[in-house]
Amino acid sequence: MSGARRRPYWLLALGLGACVTGDYSRVSFNEPVDAAALRSLAPGQDDLTSVLAKLGAPVDVREYRVNADRTSGMALVYSWREEYGWGLDISMPVSGEASARLELDFGGTDLPGCVVWFDEDLVLERWREGLVGDLLSKRRRPAPVLDGQ
Amino acid sequence: MKITRFVTLCLTAALASCSIARQDVNEPLDAVRIQELQPGSTTAKQVVELLGGPNEVVQLGKRTAYRYDSDTTKSALLFMVVFNLANQDTRQDRLWVFFDDKDVLTHYGATFGSHRTQYALPWEDVHDAAENADADARRPGVVR
Repeated sequence: MSGARRRPYWLLALGLGACVTGDYSRVSFNEPVDAAALRSLAPGQDDLTSVLAKLGAPVDVREYRVNADRTSGMALVYSWREEYGWGLDISMPVSGEASARLELDFGGTDLPGCVVWFDEDLVLERWREGLVGDLLSKRRRPAPVLDGQ
Repeated sequence: MKITRFVTLCLTAALASCSIARQDVNEPLDAVRIQELQPGSTTAKQVVELLGGPNEVVQLGKRTAYRYDSDTTKSALLFMVVFNLANQDTRQDRLWVFFDDKDVLTHYGATFGSHRTQYALPWEDVHDAAENADADARRPGVVR
């Protein structure tokens, strides 16, 4: 094959760079909790102090099982994110005034984590691992700030 | 022809570029200062005087909890002609302080991670225990 015939392939590759782009990316957010520490948690024995010492500070804290006298338990939420993904971005001019763009993201979006529930006396009631969205109820009641009542 | 191919390859390679970026949200938490918290005696007022206003206040029945946090994100990107590589690593410092119905500190828990954030390529291990330990050792108050 002559050099003159090869030249268009280089031009084509350069041209594709403007409209077809592949990518490989990772997004990480925080670190997973220590699995051994999580498995060492003993419902009925561990309390808020020991859980905080073993797992560190949670990402979120939720009110849990509020009683009529306004005592309540709480749920600590630990979550993290580690997503790897391939992506493909295709864009092309359709007309002089418009262009089309297609972006494919092959990464997941669920957030893995664990939730630790405490009773009113802040004794560990249970813990679960999984996707945080599946472990928690979706709603949280509005809360007054420092009402002191 | 070989010279033409070599020049073309050089030009193509020159089209690749890289970029790094860092984004910080809030000041990193002061691990030494946090050690001054004393469950059973420190009040909510004293916590705010020590650490400033919290990022969030959560009502937990009669109890309350304050959240303090700080994020650091480091991004590394390698742009090539038709293929790009990207990595984004975000970690947080987090502190939760819990108060009883009289606004006295009962518990607190802290996690310090913002100093462990790394510029990396997507296949590199950013959670290496030895590297985390080195980073912890350089940050005052994190290793007790």
